[in-house]
Amino acid sequence: MTAEKLPMCPRCETDKTEELTKSPDPGVWVIYRCPTCFFAWRSTEPDFITDPKKYDPNFKFKPEDMATFQVVPTVPDLIKR
Amino acid sequence: MAYKGLREFLNVLEKNGQLLRISEPVLPEPDIASAACAGTKLGDQSPALLFENIKGYTTAKIAMNVHASWPNHALAIGMAKDTPLKEQFFEFVKRYQTYPGKIERRADAPWKEVVIDKDINLYDLMPLLRLNQGDGGFYIDKSTVVSRDLNDWDNIDTQNCGMYRLEVKGRNRIGIQPIPEHDIAIHLARAEEQGKDLPVAICLGNDPLMSIVSGMPILYDQSEYKMAGALQGEPYRITATELTGLDAPWGSEFVLEGKIKSRVREAEGPFGEFTGHYSGARNMPVIEIDRVSHRKNPIFEHLYIGMPWTEIDYLLGINTGAPLYVQLKENFPEIVSVNALYTHGLVVIISTKRRFGGFAKAVGLRVFSTPHGMGYAKVVIVVDETVDPYNLPQVMWALSTKFNPQFDLVVVPGMSVLSLDPGSDPEGMTYKMVIDATTPKAPETHGHYSQELRDPAGTQQWMKQIGEMVASAAKQGGSR
Repeated sequence: MTAEKLPMCPRCETDKTEELTKSPDPGVWVIYRCPTCFFAWRSTEPDFITDPKKYDPNFKFKPEDMATFQVVPTVPDLIKR
Repeated sequence: MAYKGLREFLNVLEKNGQLLRISEPVLPEPDIASAACAGTKLGDQSPALLFENIKGYTTAKIAMNVHASWPNHALAIGMAKDTPLKEQFFEFVKRYQTYPGKIERRADAPWKEVVIDKDINLYDLMPLLRLNQGDGGFYIDKSTVVSRDLNDWDNIDTQNCGMYRLEVKGRNRIGIQPIPEHDIAIHLARAEEQGKDLPVAICLGNDPLMSIVSGMPILYDQSEYKMAGALQGEPYRITATELTGLDAPWGSEFVLEGKIKSRVREAEGPFGEFTGHYSGARNMPVIEIDRVSHRKNPIFEHLYIGMPWTEIDYLLGINTGAPLYVQLKENFPEIVSVNALYTHGLVVIISTKRRFGGFAKAVGLRVFSTPHGMGYAKVVIVVDETVDPYNLPQVMWALSTKFNPQFDLVVVPGMSVLSLDPGSDPEGMTYKMVIDATTPKAPETHGHYSQELRDPAGTQQWMKQIGEMVASAAKQGGSR
């Protein structure tokens, strides 16, 4: 038996995604996760969520963009002892 | 009145015609969010929705829109469902002022029925789903997150219960948004400056008062559990959690225990927010969940949030205005009423008597230094005591006629606001303003207000008489 091919992340387009769970009622849907940008999606969602080509470009980002995101809340300085 | 949990409240809603069971099969996306969004678009009397047949799930139940109308809010605080909004506000204020209420500790709680502390997969344990199409993942957005100050661990008054958005980013990994103006950010900063993790308990599917209290801008050293006790007029039941020792509501459906990882930030969002805009993606803290407890066949409570008005506007309206009213009245007994209903109180309307010229501006400026004002309250409108801040036509009349920008506009630069305000620049910083739409009082003299109209003599009696005639005619019409 061959392993099912995992889909590409619709948002950041990395190909290293993972399966989080399958529907308790077998065969209805699968939930996937992207460990790079933390996007999660269900196989039964509309194609503008699941298909990297149709995902809203305004909401896409590249893995390297994450380093520039605003930090909320900021990390405080360590107390010097 | 005191509801012991969500289930009891859903029964009360159903008996009052304020709950619809959706038994036809629905897809998790987009049906559940769409239905919840539609419910609030139908007006301010709409029912809660209980989804009982969700495709792919076998036993899951999802409750939406539990607080999403004024009748539901009235029932949540133990009042008749047809109680007018203003009466709900002043009853809430009255009970709030009985703080501190009592708490009742119980060793056992229904949420201890099932415990998972190995191989946790939240996606198996909860019917998680996407709310808005631009959301970066599946969120928990209607829970009570409990935390304590590591330096003051045994102090129940500084133990915080807050409602924060939570992105489930992995099997036992959750992103959290602790906005700096919120109390949990104080706990987190004290833990992180020592390089320590912050224990948290995430309590989901609560009695309706707990959700109201968790979103209240009360003082840092006021206990939400004691506030719930005050508001319900009976001791509020809590139970200590096993792993963290934090106190959870006795009646929760789920309790998730874990810790915010010290000094870790990673990508979170976007998430469709109460501002009617997405938050954008930001680097925010991360929770690791180590233990999940839940009732058998738990009900998952969720909240649709999007372009106002949605459930959150009912949930966070009165509970924001009431603390503001009480906190402001301590300084200014002249204040008559406060309305913070709009976009979680980014706009606040205050009616007040004035003792002298400039008084209304001082009242307006005081809002900015309240706990709520530090992160919200960007626009404060002050009106005369004769104007009802809950009556927008009256407020618009005051703005149209009493307000002259030459004299009555105070703009304050460099103020804090929550970073979710899409108008803030940079995120989290804004100018704020007070609009003084009151009648000038000596020595302030501008304008010509000596001939303000009054209703003709006898109008009040005629209102009563015509009202009775209309009611009587409607009754006769209905009995035909």
